[in-house]
Amino acid sequence: MSERRIDAVAKATGAAKYTADVVLEGMTFAAVKRSDYPSALIEDIDISVAKEIEGVLGVFTSKDLPGGANLYGRRVFDVPILAEERVRRVGDPIAAVVATSREIAEAAAELIDVTYKELPVVATARDAIKPGAPLIHEKPWEYKGAVVTPEMGINIQSIDTHGSREAAEAALRGAAHIIDETYITPGDHQGYIEPQACIADYHPDGSLNVWNTNKSPYRLRDVLSAVFSLDPKKVEIMPTVLGGDFGGKGSPGDAPLCTALSILVGKPVKMVLRYSEDLLSTDGRHASEIRVRLGVDKDGKLVGGIFEALLDGGSYAGFKPVNTVNLHGIVDAAIAYRVPEFFVESKIVYTNNQPKGHMRAPGSPQAAFAFESALDELGRRSGIGAIKIRELNLLSNGDANPYGTVWLENRGKEVLSLALSQPRTQEAPKGWLYGEGIAIYARSMAAVPKTSLRLRKGENGKVIAEVPIPENGAGGQTVVREMIRSGLGIDSDKIEVKQVSTSLLPTDAGVGGSRVSLGVTVAVANAIKLWKEMPADQELVEVTTSEGSDGPSGAYSAQLARVAVDPATGQLKVLEIVSAVDVAEIVNPKAHQMQIDGGTVMGYGFAVMEDLLEDGGQPWALSMGEFKLPNVADIPKLTTALLRGGKGVGPNNIKAVGELANCPTGAAIANAVEDATGARIRKLPVKAEAIYWAMKEGVSK
Amino acid sequence: MKINFSLNGKETELDVDPMAVALDVVRGLSLTGTKEGCGVGVCGACTIMVNGSPVSSCICLVGTLADKDVWTIEGIAEKMPELIDSFVEEEGMQCGICTPGQIVAAAAIESVGASNAEEIKKYMAGNLCRCTGYQTILSAVEDHLAVN
Repeated sequence: MSERRIDAVAKATGAAKYTADVVLEGMTFAAVKRSDYPSALIEDIDISVAKEIEGVLGVFTSKDLPGGANLYGRRVFDVPILAEERVRRVGDPIAAVVATSREIAEAAAELIDVTYKELPVVATARDAIKPGAPLIHEKPWEYKGAVVTPEMGINIQSIDTHGSREAAEAALRGAAHIIDETYITPGDHQGYIEPQACIADYHPDGSLNVWNTNKSPYRLRDVLSAVFSLDPKKVEIMPTVLGGDFGGKGSPGDAPLCTALSILVGKPVKMVLRYSEDLLSTDGRHASEIRVRLGVDKDGKLVGGIFEALLDGGSYAGFKPVNTVNLHGIVDAAIAYRVPEFFVESKIVYTNNQPKGHMRAPGSPQAAFAFESALDELGRRSGIGAIKIRELNLLSNGDANPYGTVWLENRGKEVLSLALSQPRTQEAPKGWLYGEGIAIYARSMAAVPKTSLRLRKGENGKVIAEVPIPENGAGGQTVVREMIRSGLGIDSDKIEVKQVSTSLLPTDAGVGGSRVSLGVTVAVANAIKLWKEMPADQELVEVTTSEGSDGPSGAYSAQLARVAVDPATGQLKVLEIVSAVDVAEIVNPKAHQMQIDGGTVMGYGFAVMEDLLEDGGQPWALSMGEFKLPNVADIPKLTTALLRGGKGVGPNNIKAVGELANCPTGAAIANAVEDATGARIRKLPVKAEAIYWAMKEGVSK
Repeated sequence: MKINFSLNGKETELDVDPMAVALDVVRGLSLTGTKEGCGVGVCGACTIMVNGSPVSSCICLVGTLADKDVWTIEGIAEKMPELIDSFVEEEGMQCGICTPGQIVAAAAIESVGASNAEEIKKYMAGNLCRCTGYQTILSAVEDHLAVN
């Protein structure tokens, strides 16, 4: 029995304080003049009119930045706080205004006059790697943290590979049936409803307080310390509530700019992005073009595969946080299957589009769309069957995946049959075609739960848990309370969980990668153990954890899409999405279910609606009017079937769930469309026009 | 210009720029439960109730509020605690940024008389949620309507 969320009342009454709600004494407001062009030299920046506006405290360009610090990033430092001699995308910040109000700052920013000299535009990843393509960055290998070399080719952000291309090609030559198709997905945005916001408050003694829509406070502290040569101990990232994240709130956002501006004006500086700016200036999902070759023998067993992904990383690589500066989800494309010879290459390139970063299961929605569509096509074309080919090739217990890892258990076949066994409840409209499609997704749970936590005695027998993580909505703080409640046997109202600022706890890896529940459960379990052994005169216990999970483990999901298509127009109606999910113990059933439902709706949006409409270097989806997210009337019936009894990890025996539901949806729907119509759609989002023409011509558009 | 209106049940006089949007005006009065989301009247995070109907305050010029009966989440929470309870008990939220707007929209649902699930969905379509997948929000609204 789960008790209600720890933050429910504050959020329902409007009392919860988000970054945009924070007010400091003497606070000033910033706004940015952004590039109108995707690729241009800056010939002149005229700030003379803007700086004379009443209420404007200063107008700043890259030349004014304190200490000459300009480049920042999460791993590769290639993102300028303010553009120097050139702009590389529509929306690049060129100059910043600080004023006494947001309205004055925005009005003054509009009056900054920039003279550009347009440069050739690299609009797609394909164009970026053509011989002689314009260089987005002259020498990207010289950036701090870069993983590229000149030998890799032009406009490369990173290349990650696994396996042997030669061995995979040889295996495919011996195959009885082969599929060789290319799948395309668009640029996407996390679509959190809270636009990014920041307040930086720098003091003459070198200390800095930052409130930021950021889920990785310790990493943000380290980035700001590095960029501005500050003592990390004097950089304090303050607690805040996050209005949605989905990967997008891991970036430093505007903290580097606001910090620079606060140093320059000597006052707290606040900047809240308009949503149109957020769509222009953050770090969504990479557009992808993935060629998939898969081969089976005469018995339907996979013999080999080649998976080549070309991803549009946009104008900067700096928003990808991992060491490879790549996306794990691409390389892990075949993780659910036995593929004796599997070669994967994930190539991310620079273009003049918006920079891309991490969005809910980075790389996986694109990879799952391509892999699960190709496998489905191979099953249908070879006569083996779309279900049968999965049953034949999903890993069994004890099997190694293509990356050489044997998980504690493999329950792919079980989630597949569980999804297929859910009864159909929705009828297609009269005269429409009906179809069903299946897709599988699996995810490793090898995340290291690096975090820290403190339990402290409060008044009247209260236990106060101090945590380093902000609440992004997934319910991490409620998990902490639930564990303390059950571990110490005290009532929920005797437990307070609060985020503290960065100097008050040693470390945390940040919210993400579905690692929170695991990291938190390890830390809380250790803390509870110490608490029980604590001498009566001791006031607190503090723990830091950094051990890995116990045993290589993974979790599976299978989604079954039931769709109807109007044969006259191609209009698609997704009637139902069944999610069969591999679980162990569940700490908080309601929060767990919302991760599945919310993930499925996000997968549905990716499959049929969402698109940043990046064309010719110009993003055309500049508001939520054009960038459509699913509303409550858009979505299909959602059905969940839990495959219980799994072997999880950590002291609570859990499997992460936050990224299991949003990845297979695109392929499940495309596979269902072929089942209904015979037409194969290889490009997301699936549009009625594409289905119409594919039905007419028998090919994908 | 000066405008008079009722705000959360209290007669209020404000000296405002009539071209300011209601969202900025109420937030300027420390009523920060009303959230800025899309800024173009699509997402519903800024929903307030004006004469019983839901309004996107980000595209509502404050001058149009003259002589109207205006409620924000802070007032709704005091006036309709049972509605808050429905959202809390059903956990009709995760990150919470859309929640005040969802609740104000739900508070105004009587203006359209939605009674079944399909009508509720159509009515609530102007309030986006990116976290929950909507199921717990629907449960909360249905629970509220069943109780009343």
